[in-house]
Amino acid sequence: MTSSLKNARARAGVFRWALIVALPLASAGCALLIPQTESLRNGWPSDLGARVELDSVPFYPQKDFQCGPASLATAMSFGGVSVLPDDLVSKVYLPSRGGSLQVEMLAAPRRYGLVTWQLGPRFEDLLREVQDGTPVIAMQDYGLWPVPYWHYAVVVGFDQASGKVVLRSGEKRRLEMPFAVLEYTWKESAYWAMVAVPPDRVPVTATETGWLQAVVAMERVSGREAARKAYSAVLRRWPDSLNGAIGLANVDYAEGHLQAAEAVLRDALKLHPKSVVALNNLAQAVADQNRNDEALALIDEAVALGGPFSSAAEQTRAQIRKKIAAPH
Amino acid sequence: MKSVAFRMLCRFLIASLFAMSFQPAMAGMIGTGQAITTTSTSTERAALIGTLSRTDVAGQLLAQGVDPEAAKLRVASMTDQEVAALSGKIDSLPAGANSGTGWAVAIVIALVVWYYWK
Repeated sequence: MTSSLKNARARAGVFRWALIVALPLASAGCALLIPQTESLRNGWPSDLGARVELDSVPFYPQKDFQCGPASLATAMSFGGVSVLPDDLVSKVYLPSRGGSLQVEMLAAPRRYGLVTWQLGPRFEDLLREVQDGTPVIAMQDYGLWPVPYWHYAVVVGFDQASGKVVLRSGEKRRLEMPFAVLEYTWKESAYWAMVAVPPDRVPVTATETGWLQAVVAMERVSGREAARKAYSAVLRRWPDSLNGAIGLANVDYAEGHLQAAEAVLRDALKLHPKSVVALNNLAQAVADQNRNDEALALIDEAVALGGPFSSAAEQTRAQIRKKIAAPH
Repeated sequence: MKSVAFRMLCRFLIASLFAMSFQPAMAGMIGTGQAITTTSTSTERAALIGTLSRTDVAGQLLAQGVDPEAAKLRVASMTDQEVAALSGKIDSLPAGANSGTGWAVAIVIALVVWYYWK
């Protein structure tokens, strides 16, 4: 009896000490532990809704260690590609590591004509994408120092009032998790998160330059049809985008639609009259339609502007001159 | 024993990646990929370095148990920056791999954080 009483006292003592140490740490430490959750609690962005849940996002329970393929299949299916986790194993899974790398998660959807975007490391960005109707893949660490335990899950909803996000995760179709827990586990991956969207969509948090890089990365491995949709979407979102127009014109040109390419480039030049790339490509498209003198005037203009593309423009000029000297 | 077969695979990969990297460009046109990069490095030099890093990363994928054809396609879908980020680091970069056992740890963390947050 006495010994158990002693034990109880000892335990109570330990508990009290733990509280004395932990409470100030916790109240002062929240801002350190979960800074973005704290700042969202203090000021919810006015243009962000209070509650969103994308119910129609499918769910593929993960097998073994394959949360990478399962999360990707979840996001990609919602993006309109019919794909199963098993189809993605050979595209992202590393047998010896027993997992999937972030780079490969970003690379694989391009092969299906989806564009991938790595979000900025901000909770707000993640919520904005979900609000815009795009599920977000986030990388979490469930390990305890010093052993990390990396995991991919898909955020499909959030509720400001209850302070929770909704995930498709592992074997759980609908996992509710407080913002704080998501942030605590997500922070370890430096807030790594991505979306994979069909080419005719542009994520709401994308920047023009970053998104064009993402589209070019897709174009390397996708068909021209996806690339055309993607550049058209860039021009809808950023109508003044020079490189969006150059991308679209290049797709037209590659498909032999010279007049379409010419029209796109002429429009771009109205906004960006000093673009060497647009002048050069327009000159080439015009020369290919056998309007060589007109092409020469354009390429002279491009060469005169100088800059990093001047040597390419000089080469184009040499070709056009050769064509004028020796017409076939 | 492994190394002979492995080296043969690597040679095959090198050859096929080189073949892939010299796809004919459209003569006279400046590509969109070029237009969006502002680097001034000579493009041929950059292309050669890029191909070598791709071969390197493909070899590392093979060593991780990926089969050769899949490795080639996986590397092909990466950008040059992504290839550079992976090169030499495939062993150490985070690989998302959680299984059910991780949830025990997760629940503990969740309870602790939630307890203090509420």
